[in-house]
Amino acid sequence: MNLTEKTQGYVKDKLTLDDILPTKLPVYLNSMAYMFGVLTLCSLAMIIASGMVMAFFGPNWYHVRSSGKFFNSLHFWSVQLFFAFMMLHLATKYFIGAFRDGRWKTWMIGALTLGAAIFSGFTGYLSASNWSAQWHAVEAKDAMNAMGIGGFFFTTNYSQMLTLHVAVLPAFVIVLATIHILLIRHEGPVKPYPAKGEAKK
Amino acid sequence: MSRKSDEYLRGVPMKSYDLVREGLIALAFVAALAIALAIAFKSPDAPTVRGEDVAKNHPLDYLKTAADLLSGESALESYGPPYTKDKENIQRIFGPGPAAILGVTLPIDAEKDLVIAPLERVAVLNKDVAAALAVWKAASDDKQKAWTKAYSDALDKAEEAKGLVKVPAGDFGPVAVMMTGMLDLGRAGLLEGALTSGETLPYTLDNTKAMLFFQEDVDQSVADGYDMKGTQWGITHEVGNLPGPWWLWPYAIWYQIPPLTTAPNADVIVGSLMILLFLLLFFAPFVPVLKHLPKWIPIYRIIWRDWYKAHDR
Repeated sequence: MNLTEKTQGYVKDKLTLDDILPTKLPVYLNSMAYMFGVLTLCSLAMIIASGMVMAFFGPNWYHVRSSGKFFNSLHFWSVQLFFAFMMLHLATKYFIGAFRDGRWKTWMIGALTLGAAIFSGFTGYLSASNWSAQWHAVEAKDAMNAMGIGGFFFTTNYSQMLTLHVAVLPAFVIVLATIHILLIRHEGPVKPYPAKGEAKK
Repeated sequence: MSRKSDEYLRGVPMKSYDLVREGLIALAFVAALAIALAIAFKSPDAPTVRGEDVAKNHPLDYLKTAADLLSGESALESYGPPYTKDKENIQRIFGPGPAAILGVTLPIDAEKDLVIAPLERVAVLNKDVAAALAVWKAASDDKQKAWTKAYSDALDKAEEAKGLVKVPAGDFGPVAVMMTGMLDLGRAGLLEGALTSGETLPYTLDNTKAMLFFQEDVDQSVADGYDMKGTQWGITHEVGNLPGPWWLWPYAIWYQIPPLTTAPNADVIVGSLMILLFLLLFFAPFVPVLKHLPKWIPIYRIIWRDWYKAHDR
């Protein structure tokens, strides 16, 4: 068995270039509600871009230089937009029943992306090296300890929170979001519920 | 298109679409919005609680904190995993306590690690503290407890003025000198360094001990001033008028509802509820009522209003 051949066949069958970069879409995609996914993705791009700039200059930079404060603020507001668009995306997809017709995998990967994003954001709040970070680390440790994960996830360990925030958790978010998007492109957008007078499926 | 989407969309009218253009427009919109918000509202940056500030501005609180940790009866002393072996404070739900699974992975002895260890550094520079520490170490547990209790009681009657603390006289043994040593350490701005360095590395990668030092009354009172305590929606609040992580409202709300406002095992109950809620979200496509709910609430008819205008009969 040639694994490369198999992989090639799988990709060819499941994901064509037409799917990844479509030039036509069903007419029922005619609402701003469909924009929340791409807006979430664009916010993620802004988070990654501002986060990379911050990583280059290090944590002290956020507090002492006006340029550092600006990029810290840009990162902060990109996160706010990311979650706002993500919640709108989640709500609209739920209310159109986007998980129908075999799209449960896309839904579940999306839910996992939300979970990874929440932990990513949480470790970011703990990495801000200000009062909020100090307080949330002290306060949140009780919840982590009570649930048993405080035995290895130390909210008061700055270096652990920072490395999880800039490397491990964003990797989860990016990989999960990529799978989520590829699944969406592969399966196509879910059809509307039957119209009035139309036969129920 | 792929075989799957071709089959699924067979018979559905299509329209032309430019994904790259739409993506670029969306990116420009989000970038402009984020930059505008960053310039207009900036981001939270309230200063941290530092030993130096507390020692200089609130020396009585500083001394009370150090005396409590020295007493061997601080909350941290009987916290349980991951810091101590005690099991009585482990939060339990229907019997087991998840904290016990991994046990003590970050052992901390409040008295020794947070007071005696930094004082041993002070003792190198200060002979009075060195002598007081020697007396302390040679004394029995009962004697140590009697001294710290007498000192703590005296602190309750102490007066603070212009950064100085006047403690009524009493039989404190070496404790008064030790506590003055701790206060000087804080005033010199060396408390955090003394708490975190010296085990495996001279520089620190883990601030746990420094953060635990002020976690009780000092941090609590600062958090109270910012409306950031657990019963004030805790983690979802940010300093000033800036938005916090509001997406954690479904988590923080439980701490506002009795009996969870005061339940000693509130954390483990809320944590379990959140796992349950996440599982409901994750399995929504298969959960009986949840999977049909969108069909019963006609929000979809607003989103697809053009489609239904053309297809309703």
